[in-house]
Amino acid sequence: MRNSFDEKILDEALDWVKTNQKVVLATVIQTWGSSPRQVGSRMIVNENGDFSGSVSGGCVETAVVRECIDLIKENKTCKKIEFKVSNESAWEVGLACGGEIAVYLEQVN
Amino acid sequence: MKLKTLEQIIKNKSSKVEFAIVTNLQNGESEMFEPGKKLTGYFEKFQKEVENFFKSKKNGIIENSDIFVETYIRPIKVIIIGAVHIAQYLVDFAKSLNFEISVIDPRGYFATSQRFPDLKIINKWPDDAFKEIETNENTALIALTHDPKIDDPALQHALNKKFYYIGALGSKKTHENRCQRLKEAGFTDEQIKSIYGPIGIKLGGKSAPEIALSIIAQLVSETYNK
Repeated sequence: MRNSFDEKILDEALDWVKTNQKVVLATVIQTWGSSPRQVGSRMIVNENGDFSGSVSGGCVETAVVRECIDLIKENKTCKKIEFKVSNESAWEVGLACGGEIAVYLEQVN
Repeated sequence: MKLKTLEQIIKNKSSKVEFAIVTNLQNGESEMFEPGKKLTGYFEKFQKEVENFFKSKKNGIIENSDIFVETYIRPIKVIIIGAVHIAQYLVDFAKSLNFEISVIDPRGYFATSQRFPDLKIINKWPDDAFKEIETNENTALIALTHDPKIDDPALQHALNKKFYYIGALGSKKTHENRCQRLKEAGFTDEQIKSIYGPIGIKLGGKSAPEIALSIIAQLVSETYNK
């Protein structure tokens, strides 16, 4: 059995839209290996880069925010991005845990 | 996602309807699936796969396709007997965890909206209160009054309806007496043993929020165990 441990991110997304913010939903759609968050986990980002929720344990959120802002700027509907294991070089965005995730970005329109 | 879809999701969630959102990852188009509903257009050919995701309450991409399915299930109902101090903290934890809480307490001076803002407290004896709440094997009971007059009828109802989690506050001695009364009322040893008493996992804390934490931790653990 599973409860819907709903983090209510979509409820927050609707509140943002109602206050005239542009909102991108970023959703984990696929994982490989030991990824920190399960499929369906979500964060939302607005045109200023404010965000709520998560798609990893803080590993790739910065990159996701950047991609979301670009999506709004380029006025695209959707985009799929993948994150793989981070390499040794410091500051590189990636998943330190060794997992891989695919994140789907879509604008609310 | 279309704003209309987002609004529909929020509406369905608040009316406790179970559904799924099916998205074509190529173009961002999506459609809502509800049990018994036929998908249309491009999604039509994925009907069976979507139903399978929905039944297994899973999210994911349908194999060899660009279709993502996200299922939305109803929150678990948790019934608390006793609008006591611990219940106030339980309500807070339960809110973050998205459990649907009902509090039953026939004692008017406990069951006030000042103590429990934003929550409907059923100010009735358990037998009458349960007539207002639909319960099943997906329901949990947390009995907190340790007053047999109030807790016992609720525990009996929960045992009869096979709630997946039943816990009762009280010392070992209180729980022994409770078990004895349930035995005299005709419940089997197996049924009685299924009650978590004393309730909660061992954390060592004695304050109301600590006890509430130990109870909610046990509840989440059992939610995944069964």
